[in-house]
Amino acid sequence: MKTAVRKDLTNEINSGRKARLIFICLFLLLILFLILDIFLGSVNIKPSEVIGAFFNNSHTGFQTIILKFRLPKAITALTVGIALSLSGLQMQTVFRNPMAGPYVLGISSGASLGVAFVILGFSSTITPESLTGFGNWILVAASWVGAGAVMLLIMVISSKVKDIMTVLILGIMLSSGISAVVTIMQYFSNETLLKAYVIWTMGSLGNLTVNQLNVLLISVSAGIILSLFSSKMLNALLLGENYAGSIGLNVRFARAVIFICTSILAGSVTAFCGPIGFIGIAVPHIVRILFKTSDHKILIPGTILMGGAVMLASDILSQLPGSETVLPINAVTSLIGIPVVIWVILRNRQYSDSF
Amino acid sequence: MEMNSKEILSVDSLRIGYGSGKNENALLPPLNASANFGELIAVIGRNGIGKSTLLRTLTGLQQPLGGNISYYWKNIKDYTRIALAQKVGYISTEIVKVSNMRVYDLVALGRFPHTNWIGKVGMRDHEIILDALKKTSMSFFAQKFISELSDGERQKAMIARILAQDTGIMIMDEPTAFLDIASKYEILHLMHQLSGSGTKTIIFSTHDLQMAISQADKIWLILENELIEGAPEDLMLAGEFDHLFDSSTVMFNSEDGTFSFRSETKGAVYLEGEGNKRFWTEKAINRAGFKVSKEKTLPFIILPTTNHSPWKLVNGTEILEFRSLYELMGCLSRTTTRSI
Repeated sequence: MKTAVRKDLTNEINSGRKARLIFICLFLLLILFLILDIFLGSVNIKPSEVIGAFFNNSHTGFQTIILKFRLPKAITALTVGIALSLSGLQMQTVFRNPMAGPYVLGISSGASLGVAFVILGFSSTITPESLTGFGNWILVAASWVGAGAVMLLIMVISSKVKDIMTVLILGIMLSSGISAVVTIMQYFSNETLLKAYVIWTMGSLGNLTVNQLNVLLISVSAGIILSLFSSKMLNALLLGENYAGSIGLNVRFARAVIFICTSILAGSVTAFCGPIGFIGIAVPHIVRILFKTSDHKILIPGTILMGGAVMLASDILSQLPGSETVLPINAVTSLIGIPVVIWVILRNRQYSDSF
Repeated sequence: MEMNSKEILSVDSLRIGYGSGKNENALLPPLNASANFGELIAVIGRNGIGKSTLLRTLTGLQQPLGGNISYYWKNIKDYTRIALAQKVGYISTEIVKVSNMRVYDLVALGRFPHTNWIGKVGMRDHEIILDALKKTSMSFFAQKFISELSDGERQKAMIARILAQDTGIMIMDEPTAFLDIASKYEILHLMHQLSGSGTKTIIFSTHDLQMAISQADKIWLILENELIEGAPEDLMLAGEFDHLFDSSTVMFNSEDGTFSFRSETKGAVYLEGEGNKRFWTEKAINRAGFKVSKEKTLPFIILPTTNHSPWKLVNGTEILEFRSLYELMGCLSRTTTRSI
């Protein structure tokens, strides 16, 4: 018996070491992609000049490209990746549904409805680019409310319907319904606003003003802090509501915290970058496979690092290094995310039982 | 009411059920029951009578419609969630299926009401978890994924989790359902050990009446109109278990605590011989629908005297020999339908 316990202890220490090693690798990968994202782009800039742009005040065109375009875009990519992946992880645990994610369940659609109200509905003069200061907060708040409303609806549905597939289908229905409403709103709006809205829905990391980036950073930071606080609750929720309650979790409070956190994370991103698909659903699965754990104390930091890295990689790919074309970010994230989702479905055909 | 110093749980005119106000749907009339330190208590009752609802209410997962529940002489309403979770643990019939969750992690979740805001498992928690794994003989499985466990192992892991929770009271909803016989007795043995050591009071529901009677210190028998509590033997002597089978074809023999089907007897047969062979031959004869006669009958059976001698069926001058009870029973049915 004693040797068995000792063996378990060493196993445990080994798995702890392994997790630390993966964390270090992920962190290095994240830094690497961050640097690559700044160094690579449609304009060829020599590495020495990129470094120069940071340290010399040369005011060349290159410096403008690096500091005004590439750096904010890289930071946006990092933030968006973290926010979407975290909200996906939280939703998968709360709904106990491996297919949950902000995009699939219509949370992003809800957020875009909020945005549509602001852009198309109430004002005839503002566009996402023209918003400044307080206006950005209105946009982001509308997005939170939209995301929160859909989240609430999905929560009500999933408390009545236990079947994961049914919830998923209802999520898709919800997205379609919201799209229909937005289409009607588009029909009644003028051409300039329509164009602004359509461009927004394509998803973009590069169109944020400094002010918008600040709003995004503040909101997402709040979301990250809240999600770190929720890791213990998420672990308890893995067991299901009854067991979670029996070990002392206030299930309603926990759901409310996670609900707010997810709405802030997914809503903020959608407000400024448009609906970006499949990152939120795919990244948590990659992290679970990598760390082979269900412990959110590991999954949350893992998802933060992996989400940032994957989004930066998507951004690098979307710029098609060496060419002048830039692909829509949504196309790249879908191509990365969908194979993971398909793999999850095929690997575990009874995935409705577990995740 | 007199204060019982050994009493850990007292249930006073508790009304359980769903809804509230006008839509109130009480499952049972007000219930009274109690539990002492270190007792193993079996909750018995028909399917759907409200056993699970009672256990959920006792765990605090469901609000009672009325009445009081007191743990350690303190009303359940005066406990915070965390404080209650430090006193009462719960295992439901719900099977936990989480991929990538190791047994150690599952058991560690039992420390939930004892750890800090982030749920950090400290050295002391770690020792308690290892101890819980050891007590349930699950140490070898600590690093296995729970999806790889058998039903019995998973149930032991769940018990380890509740042990790590370090509660004085363990409430289990049908802990031995879905288990094969070996795992069933292993779990039961474990429950017996835990309550026998005097540190845990276990309240569990079961459908296995024989098991409950032989193992439990006390039985809460839930009938349509009341909850009767008492030692299994007291309830047996009072004939209370008969109420469980009022309308069915199953009969409970309060003499030996076994079940049998109500069926018409095909006749009586005399058995000549004693011992182990007699016990099992009687069983076989009863199953075939015969009674054992105290007076000589025709035909009658002479039991084997050694391990190698045969059973003899004597029918007047004709004596038939059988190597096994199986053969004997086949012949007995045929002969007696003719002669008796």
